[in-house]
Amino acid sequence: MPSWFSKVFKDGAKPPSRSVPPKTEESVHSAALTKPAATPAPVRRPNPILAELDEKETPPLVTRKIIQPTVLVEEQERSGWTDEVRIKARVERDQRSCVFLVDRPLLDGHSAYFPNPASCQDSPLAQAIFEIPEVETVLLHGTNVTVTRSPMIRESWEPMAREIGAVVRDHLKNHRPAVAEPFLANMPSEEEIREKLARIIDLEINPGIAAHSGMISLERVEGNTVYIKMMGGCQGCAASAITLRQGIHLAFRQIIPQIGAILDVTDHAAGKNPYFTELPAGMQRYA
Amino acid sequence: MPRLNSFQLQIKTGQNGPAEPPRYSINGFVIEFEEMSGGIGPGETLEATGNPGSFPHSLSLCGPKEGAWDIEGITATYFPHGEPPYTVRFDAVTLDDQSDLNIWQDRPAQVFDV
Repeated sequence: MPSWFSKVFKDGAKPPSRSVPPKTEESVHSAALTKPAATPAPVRRPNPILAELDEKETPPLVTRKIIQPTVLVEEQERSGWTDEVRIKARVERDQRSCVFLVDRPLLDGHSAYFPNPASCQDSPLAQAIFEIPEVETVLLHGTNVTVTRSPMIRESWEPMAREIGAVVRDHLKNHRPAVAEPFLANMPSEEEIREKLARIIDLEINPGIAAHSGMISLERVEGNTVYIKMMGGCQGCAASAITLRQGIHLAFRQIIPQIGAILDVTDHAAGKNPYFTELPAGMQRYA
Repeated sequence: MPRLNSFQLQIKTGQNGPAEPPRYSINGFVIEFEEMSGGIGPGETLEATGNPGSFPHSLSLCGPKEGAWDIEGITATYFPHGEPPYTVRFDAVTLDDQSDLNIWQDRPAQVFDV
């Protein structure tokens, strides 16, 4: 014990305890009274408008069906099989491509896609079309020729379409084939196309578009023409055409360059909410 | 999609017509036609004009509140902002109290002989 202790605490008294006395109910109450008053909670006044709305009965939600009407199109005059080759040009909505509807088949059983002039060595028709300036791609499918041009061109399609129409007409009048023999000789079988595309859809495309809850399926392969269907978030989506053109087309053609037309057979207007519908039964969403 | 300044409908009614004048819905808002002439009785033709002045993400003709409305055909003329007008024809359809008819169509593709 230190020497100063006896001076401060005489008669050997114990130093006072420094422990905090236990709080009794009274002490808690008194402490609360002595504390500074807390900021009062804001008083919520009843909103008369909301109160009136609460009193009203909420009308039941009614699901209304939107009927998609049949659009009537003027009957096109059919020329039949005559010597005169009739061709109609239809400018697509994006103004980048034009479809030439010929009154007779160009290519039976197959389709042919040429992404640049270097790729059309086996197609005299595509070569002749590529000689016209600004042509970017050529697709031959059934009775149709689809030509795309640079999106930077703003002029009307009409002069260029007449030039392309004249080339196609001249080609058919001279009974020249749309594609030469080697083109069809190097064509992979339908089974091979189906297997390769199914693999790339499962491993690359569907996992990629699953972020948008989308999904595509391979419907069928006819010759080298591919039919696909878009589902989930892709069905009815305004960006589905971009997904098809810039994603699916490129992926398919990279793995099989001989693929011709890639056609989307999705009914994008179907369903109560075309922007998004649940996946069909049996389909799994990719995680 | 251009802004739709106005549109005009010519609706030919078949055997059954609605009890009350029709309305249209644009982007979920139900609006009355600004101008109407003709009739909605059986065999009559109604000419109705709407002036939405907006982008028609959805544009539909509302079905009747009760009963059915047999429509023999509709001719729709659209007046988009800054573009020439165009006309689309719709085939026969029947509307009821739970259905609306989509009446928005983009401009038809340009087709010409070459």
